[in-house]
Amino acid sequence: MKRTVLPCNGLDKQHGVLARELALSLAEAQGAEIICPVLLNNSPARYEKALAGATLLVIDGCPTRCASKLANKLALKIDDKVLVSEQAKNAGLEVAESLRPGSVGMQLVGIMAKGLAAPNETPAEETTSDDFETPGDFITVTYDKFIFKMPAEDYLFNENDCWVRVIGSRARVGVSDFVQQNMTDITFFEPAQTGTEIEQFDEVGSLESGKSMMDALSPVSGRIVAVNTQLVDSPELVNEDPYGKGWIAEIELRDFDSDKELLLDAKSYSKIVEKKAAEAQH
Amino acid sequence: MAEDTFMSVKRDKIDWSPTIDYSKCDFCMECDKFCPHQVFERRDEDPKLVVANPHNCVVFCRACAKTCGPDAISFPSKPETIAKIKKIREEEGEQ
Repeated sequence: MKRTVLPCNGLDKQHGVLARELALSLAEAQGAEIICPVLLNNSPARYEKALAGATLLVIDGCPTRCASKLANKLALKIDDKVLVSEQAKNAGLEVAESLRPGSVGMQLVGIMAKGLAAPNETPAEETTSDDFETPGDFITVTYDKFIFKMPAEDYLFNENDCWVRVIGSRARVGVSDFVQQNMTDITFFEPAQTGTEIEQFDEVGSLESGKSMMDALSPVSGRIVAVNTQLVDSPELVNEDPYGKGWIAEIELRDFDSDKELLLDAKSYSKIVEKKAAEAQH
Repeated sequence: MAEDTFMSVKRDKIDWSPTIDYSKCDFCMECDKFCPHQVFERRDEDPKLVVANPHNCVVFCRACAKTCGPDAISFPSKPETIAKIKKIREEEGEQ
């Protein structure tokens, strides 16, 4: 599949300049088509053809994330995302404050380009356990015209609206029905890195909709052994089945007994949802 | 009005909110635009942005820091905050 690239404009900041360089390098190496953010903003129809039937990579320079915001505003489906300043941090590279790409900057561009294999060439992720089935019985909270569902059994929640389901020494985590209804249509999912050791309440993935952005905070501590890569292509699974196919990550548990002290069962969590739903209306 | 408790602990007993490093902040206001809980407040005088309502901040949420271009926002340590919350719950459970 062909790739289109939407870089940030990158004229006034050192990381933005590299966003542009990375787009150029992908255009040269993979034949990716570059989208000009200014023209896209002014006349989105101009790029309709380029975007249809192609994957979209968004490159942001700094955390202001103008390119991502533009893509969200136009409800474009984002397939991959890069944040240059974060990549610099991860690579331990200090990019000089210059508006011309220096040697360190170009080294970073090389590293980032290497990490972005052409579409359909991404390696397969770790396989996951099949023991986790979609739940059957739910308890519900009704507020105004909304009905929020929580699986009656087997699921525990943190107050940050994320759930955990434990089977043996492993657990799956995700976000609650309350989250998906509040965010409305989820358009982008960014998974965490498999293999990362996390503390309870650490970020395990982030979700974005036209309305808001949310980090899923893990109800448990441990090691991320798998992430739901299906959500990268189909983030709407979180809306359709938040407790089943919309799972976010699988964790090898470290100290579940201790984590449990700060978790709620469905009944207690439903009280929190009642309160939050009332607050969200005001 | 944000939640007044977190895991039954009164919110004002939990030290969790952003700190702005004014030597880095360029007052772009992205964090304030992002945060739906009115944690930040804009001012006419300097500094033009302050953490006005720290207890509105959602415990363990650090999402505003991600919107910060100059990386001027920091948060307390999560493990330390978790330990403190557990300790308060234990003490209050004994009463």
